[in-house]
Amino acid sequence: MATTVRRFPSPFEIQTPPGAEGWESMYPPYILFSEDNREWEEGRFWFLDSLHRPEVEYPFDTIVHEAWNSAASELVTRTLAVPVTNGYVERILNGRLYLTILPVPDQKVVEERVPIYTRRAGHYFENWADLFERWRGKLERVIGELKAIQIPRLPHLEDESVVTEARGYSTGLEMLNAYQRVVDNVFLVYQYHFELLVLGYTAYLNLHQFCKQVFPGIPDQTVANMASGADILMFRPDDEVKKLARKALDLGLQEVIRADRPPAEIIADLRRDPRGHEWVAAFDAVQDPWFHFSSGTGMYHHERAWVDDLTVPWAAMKGYMERLERGESVERPVDQILERRERITAEYRALLTTDEDRAAFDQNIALARLVAPYVEDHNFYIEHRHHTTFWNKMREFGDRLAEHGLLESRDDLFYLNRWEVGQVLYDMVYSWGAPGRPSRERYWKSTVARRKDIVEVLRAWPAEPALGPVPPDLNEPFTIMLWGLTQERVEEWLAGAGDGAARELRGYAGSPGVVEGTARVIFSPEQIPEVEEGEILVCPITAPSWGPVFGRIKATVSDLGGIMCHAAIVCREYGLPAVVGTGRGTKVIRTGDRIRVDGNAGVVTVLS
Amino acid sequence: MSYTLPLSECTADRAELVGGKAVGLGSLLRVRPEEDVPPGFVVTTAAYRRWTAERRLEADLERILRELEDDPGDAALLAASRRIATLFERAGLGEPILEEVGQAYAALGGGGEVPVAVRSSATAEDSAETSFAGQQETYLGVVGVEAVARDIIRCWASLFTPHAISYRRRHGVALDGAAMAVVVQRMVAAEVSGVMLTIDPVNGDRSQITIEATCGLGLPVVGGELTPDRYHVDKVTMEIRSVAVAHKPFADRLDLSSGTVRRVELGEEADRPCLGDEEVVRIAEVGKQIERALGGPQDVEWALGSGPGGGRHLYLLQSRPETVWSRQETAPVAPPRTTAMDRIVAMMVGGPRARPGGPADAAGPGGREGTGRT
Repeated sequence: MATTVRRFPSPFEIQTPPGAEGWESMYPPYILFSEDNREWEEGRFWFLDSLHRPEVEYPFDTIVHEAWNSAASELVTRTLAVPVTNGYVERILNGRLYLTILPVPDQKVVEERVPIYTRRAGHYFENWADLFERWRGKLERVIGELKAIQIPRLPHLEDESVVTEARGYSTGLEMLNAYQRVVDNVFLVYQYHFELLVLGYTAYLNLHQFCKQVFPGIPDQTVANMASGADILMFRPDDEVKKLARKALDLGLQEVIRADRPPAEIIADLRRDPRGHEWVAAFDAVQDPWFHFSSGTGMYHHERAWVDDLTVPWAAMKGYMERLERGESVERPVDQILERRERITAEYRALLTTDEDRAAFDQNIALARLVAPYVEDHNFYIEHRHHTTFWNKMREFGDRLAEHGLLESRDDLFYLNRWEVGQVLYDMVYSWGAPGRPSRERYWKSTVARRKDIVEVLRAWPAEPALGPVPPDLNEPFTIMLWGLTQERVEEWLAGAGDGAARELRGYAGSPGVVEGTARVIFSPEQIPEVEEGEILVCPITAPSWGPVFGRIKATVSDLGGIMCHAAIVCREYGLPAVVGTGRGTKVIRTGDRIRVDGNAGVVTVLS
Repeated sequence: MSYTLPLSECTADRAELVGGKAVGLGSLLRVRPEEDVPPGFVVTTAAYRRWTAERRLEADLERILRELEDDPGDAALLAASRRIATLFERAGLGEPILEEVGQAYAALGGGGEVPVAVRSSATAEDSAETSFAGQQETYLGVVGVEAVARDIIRCWASLFTPHAISYRRRHGVALDGAAMAVVVQRMVAAEVSGVMLTIDPVNGDRSQITIEATCGLGLPVVGGELTPDRYHVDKVTMEIRSVAVAHKPFADRLDLSSGTVRRVELGEEADRPCLGDEEVVRIAEVGKQIERALGGPQDVEWALGSGPGGGRHLYLLQSRPETVWSRQETAPVAPPRTTAMDRIVAMMVGGPRARPGGPADAAGPGGREGTGRT
């Protein structure tokens, strides 16, 4: 019987926006839709990964999701033998990242994988605490190795020791080698990232599905609340800022710190002051790792960490100083949250009617809580600590390229993809070794200049939310958990729910509660100081490092994010309502609008 | 005093004497403050039996029922029902029951002029058929002892609706097994009224409280003339999970001085929620407490009206155990002796499964929702 397959546009129907011609050259060929694979590509359903990649891809920054999608695929298919998934395939179209999820096509393979998966995943769950401890060791090592990679300056003449110690190879080779090591390091860290994450999400999902069966109406965030960890590493940076605020008051430094001058200058002055010196020592002591904390998700090069830009923590610290002076508490209500978690869990358990379900509930809760510290803290290790160093290492390569005239400025490096960075470094090193050899300086510079224009044009492209035919059953648990992709969401897309005039926005219920208040729309962490006490924060994405702002707002609305996104976790911890993943909150809502945030239903209403 | 009892004395072991509704009210009085339940009394089944004996009605009843053919048509059933109703009404309440009722009514205050609700309170033997047979009678705004006496008899007569007669014949229920108690309770001039189930009627979710509410008295909702607003509340966290506001073009309002019910057009108010969020949570909190105190999911009737301390007071008009889901043997979702790992694999390979007896098994759209409501 013929049925009509509902479909989004084919990737091959999508036009290049005028002015962005040649955008394909920014990315490696294997990540593009191509005539070679047209039949396969047109037969698949692709969705925009706006949750993790909301921006136009800078050519270099694709390294991050190349590393994660290949690592995740290898892990589920080849290591854990997850019965139902053959991995995740990515494509870039007009600068935006699309994904498709490969099912295991053959029921026989599913059955073969079940015992293997049961054994292998079982091993991880049974030894979780130990393996997480080992994981932390591996992460310390991989971050340490990254830090230790020296990006050398190419000397006019090699040091005498190269000869006397018979090193036998040049600093040029060392430069190329350093780049290889940085790339390998990123790929390694994403292998570790998924080593525990896939299983962690599985344990959450197991609890989630069970709860939805026994309590069909239970909100997602309540399930997350029951499983959430008592204390989260993600809050440590904020806690350290609070301590610094207290210390500043104890030492009577409030006037100096409040001065309307750049933080770096103030700190330089404090260093020379005896009282200030004590504060600066405390400040220095927390830089690594606690200020290796991105002001964004950490997954783009332009999101700077606190160590690189003190705007966010400095504003937060001044805010905490004021609140402390007014005698207010700046502590997070950790005990209350924990007590509430226990009460809620016990009450839900008491509603179960059979011994079997009570036993299963206890097991599922225990497993979800076992993995919770990893699920909640892994971002801090990777996207924050690791990537802070990673992006800065890349800037050092950018510096070298600019010094040698191959690029105009350091950040131009990010307009070359990871393979091209290898090429331009080689070009530079070769000309260093053979002075007088002309490099392709003009090619690199004109390529970067052209790409800057292309990226600007692509930013204005209204990305299709999905491409290709809609599969019959989309409600695959992992897809929902990782990408928030549900049948319902796809229906909304198909219905063209992009009505800009709508006064009601739907997203995910990130954190419970309902409040009304005045909106403050901000687009970057630099604007955080604009947020006033009691306002509702509306932003593209609420990165965890925005933590300090949560102490003075009433609720959060974000364009991006799902139920397990960092923002939702932060809001639940602070007891603030949040609606995340609205898609266009920052476009529909204006600063000063009166809005109602319903964190139970995931709805934001613009009242006036 | 043997033909009426105060509501506070209506305990489960007296169910045969006072009927289910009165037992529910008695239970509420044990777990809630006195002022939450409008004062009232019950006219017991002993009163009914004494009355039928004294007025020599049994012989007439038997005769009328005997005269029905083996397979009587609707017209014959209706005629029999009407004859019995006329018979009952002509008989009058009489002493000593009337005197007791008079005293109990006077004790409700208002100088013998207080508006009351007169409602049938079916006994256990009869309760299985009651909701289906539609013999739960309710008379609102009844003023004065004569009117009360008349409506008590009407409630008794509701034992013999065409449906009830037919049901008893088919199931071979003897006539002397049929008896009815009647609750007489002071009226609340409800600003909002509704029902609450401390379980989800659609899927048996025990973590969900469902509240339905309409402006004024609840009768238009019971009669299907109005769709109520619906609120879902999380029983554990007390968060409002969802709100569905219905279009409610009118409300029935009780005038306390005359006992009359007036239908009022609502205009702009028609599309507004009739409860504030805080009220929703307050009602749900009470439901949760009642459920805990009474040991299982409850089906509660309530009303908001002006209270002793001013403001909208929450009155509880009835509570009875929820029966559709609570009495059903629920199969566990988790198969016995499975580990978390087994369930994870099952989740991946099989996808999520609905609870046995859950929505997938419910009969047709809407499932079991709404059954058993009076």
